Amino acid sequence: MSAPKAGWEAPVTVAELVTAGPLAGALMYGTGEKPVHEVRIVDEPSAFGTVAPHTAVVLVGAAASGGWAVEMAMRRAWEQAAACVIAPSSGLSPASGAVLAERLGVTLIFVDDPLVTAVRVASAAARPEAARMQLVARAATRLAEAGPSARAVLGVLNAELQGASVTFLDRYGRHLAGRRLPDREPPEGGGGRPAGPAALAEVEVPDQEGGLLGRLVAHGSLRSPGWPPVVRTVLGLAVAPLAAWSATARLAASRDFTLQEALAVRLIERRPPREEGASGEQESAAARAAALGWPVRGPLTAYLVRPWGRRAGPEEGLAAQAVIAATVGRVPVTRRGEGWAGWSALPPDDLAERLRECVEALPWPSAAGIGTTVESLEAMEDSLLGAEAAAIVAERGAVARADRMGPAELLGALPAGVLRAPAGVILQPLLAIDKDGTLLETLTAVLDEGGALKAAERLGVHRNTVTTRLERIKAVGFDLDDAATRLAIQLACHVILH
Amino acid sequence: MSRRIGLAELPAYAAGSRLFATGATESSFRLTLDWARSLAGQGVELVAAGELAPGTRCAAVTLAGSMIALSEQLPGGDEPAGAVRTLERGLGEPVGAVVALNLAAENALIPLIAAATLDVPLVDGDGTGRVFPLVEQTTFTLAGIGAAPLALAGASGELVLLDTVPGRVEELLRPLVLAVGGWAVAACYPMSARDLAGAQVAGTVSRLLEAGRPESARPSAVPFGMRTLCEGRIMAVEGSPRRDTGPSLPSLPSSIVVEESQGLRRLVRLEAYNEIVLALADGAVVATTPDQICMVSTRDGAVVDVDRAVPGMDVEVIVVKAAPVWHTERGLELGGPRAFGLVL
Repeated sequence: MSAPKAGWEAPVTVAELVTAGPLAGALMYGTGEKPVHEVRIVDEPSAFGTVAPHTAVVLVGAAASGGWAVEMAMRRAWEQAAACVIAPSSGLSPASGAVLAERLGVTLIFVDDPLVTAVRVASAAARPEAARMQLVARAATRLAEAGPSARAVLGVLNAELQGASVTFLDRYGRHLAGRRLPDREPPEGGGGRPAGPAALAEVEVPDQEGGLLGRLVAHGSLRSPGWPPVVRTVLGLAVAPLAAWSATARLAASRDFTLQEALAVRLIERRPPREEGASGEQESAAARAAALGWPVRGPLTAYLVRPWGRRAGPEEGLAAQAVIAATVGRVPVTRRGEGWAGWSALPPDDLAERLRECVEALPWPSAAGIGTTVESLEAMEDSLLGAEAAAIVAERGAVARADRMGPAELLGALPAGVLRAPAGVILQPLLAIDKDGTLLETLTAVLDEGGALKAAERLGVHRNTVTTRLERIKAVGFDLDDAATRLAIQLACHVILH
Repeated sequence: MSRRIGLAELPAYAAGSRLFATGATESSFRLTLDWARSLAGQGVELVAAGELAPGTRCAAVTLAGSMIALSEQLPGGDEPAGAVRTLERGLGEPVGAVVALNLAAENALIPLIAAATLDVPLVDGDGTGRVFPLVEQTTFTLAGIGAAPLALAGASGELVLLDTVPGRVEELLRPLVLAVGGWAVAACYPMSARDLAGAQVAGTVSRLLEAGRPESARPSAVPFGMRTLCEGRIMAVEGSPRRDTGPSLPSLPSSIVVEESQGLRRLVRLEAYNEIVLALADGAVVATTPDQICMVSTRDGAVVDVDRAVPGMDVEVIVVKAAPVWHTERGLELGGPRAFGLVL
């Protein structure tokens, strides 16, 4: 075996024996913070004279014959600086044992069979490294049995590392599985430190691409210098099953577009504020999103990719998803309106660049839109609306951004090809008399500029010229004082001219 | 010096006998006191052992068995005399004075009744200086005087004369006492006045009369000193595992946990086997038999019987130092912690 890691050879403490070692489950009174160097079986009080410091004293026979004997033993253990007193559970009423353990600062442990316990404790005290290794081996076996399930893996960790609380957090520090940490106060003022206890051990869980999937964090009391390395090692054993869990989840979801869609929709459902703890469903959705590598914490930006000039076919989702994943990254893809939408944690400029690649890569003519950047999933719906609008105004092969959209972009988005024919019909009376196009040009200028004077300036003609032309236009039946007519004619002019 | 214990002195005598008595039941004590009152009219002569002719045959008189049985099966009245007469028959000579085996409650009154009935003096002293549960746990035994021959008189008039070697008396006595009705008067330790003078704890009857007077303080009853161990409240009363003792003791071991109400607020454990035989404070030994450890109720000053201790009771734990002979090697062997199965 290779050289043991630092800390593994530190003497085991009483608490370590009770919470994770040979005394697991025994009733303990006192702190158990003292290290155990050896074990001594004591069958009569006179034997206490030769008990060395840091000894776990195991009481049997006359030395355990009733409360008085155990109390005397505790006193003698205190005088001899022993590590703890281990007594048969029949020896003493817990009440007085607890009182005396506290008064003397001597840890008292009740076990069913002191002699068997003595042998186990002796072996743990003599070879602390072996005892800790045993725990690691047991944890490894049970982790292997647990399989790739975050819940099962965390269950094993918390059962094996008794006295420690193990939590699996996503890369944003949100709870995914395991025991919840007590709420930490946010740091107060500048430079304040988090109020929560320092972690015993922390291990990063990578995803397949080497990015960060999440963190395993163990909290608990520091029982001995040897304890954190053991905890860290056991947490390390859980990394592979958790990575496998993530991979399995990803594989399953990528096979099932509908599942992902449903998950994405669930994530952005409007939820009642500040009720995260109560909503187990939201929580499991978040856990699965984390497994899929989706961003769930802001700033986030929505996108929408749509086929140009037609609605998305129902069977095109998988292909679109594949292309989006290849160009934009691991983001949710859901069907929305005429295309596929989702969100990304990329900055809008980068996202626009990736979407351009995406639009080019798609096997059919497409356009894309980007919504405004929002701080959380709660506001995602707004961003998605913006992305949808932007995608509608985006020209073929282009990416439009909602935060840069103005009237020109809206007008530009008008389907000129489709409208050209009806526009021709509406303007037919005018076009019939407008041989050189000056009447159409004048009408457009008047409507665009909102008056004859400005129209004359734009056209570079005298005001009376414009007035005269307007008279001819009105004469063929256009009533420019009617708002509906005016809008229709202006649209028609725009379509015909641009 | 000689004086008499008559009706006038009886109340003080009775009160003094209860100052450190554990195990006294009210009904049996009243009954015995009434019995003594009916006979004490002419008074009993109290003599020091040294005042008797050195060859005077003396016998220790005591109650054996259960006090509760005494209150249920009433005495016929001639049991004390019957026991002594039977002993005399076995000895072949008359008994010229009686002495108490111990002076706790009924055991102080029965020798007085015997002396009154037989019209012999009561010796100013006793065989323990305190109380022990076994007939052979006495300073007489320590001085090498045998308890046998021993005569028993039961309430139904049955008389038994028992003769055996030292160390066997307790074992033979117990089934006999049960057979004659649960209690009996025993006359034992036949010895000369000369031997008695050297073996007894002397002067304890006078002291008891003194201490029993209403104006007396409790320490005046104690020849060798006493101290208060703690004042506190009983937290728990627990059973304790049976221990390996020679002649098994008449009752089951129990354990009383007292939390000191002031000062260090120590956890005081009183280990009892018939009586309190060991006191620990925070696990450290602070008193053991042969010194007498008793709980006194802070409410009424009465000694709290081990069997009547209940959680919540406020008590003072006091330790009465035993006669020096009990602290010798031989004394500790007979009346020390080991005699009660405690290996400290």
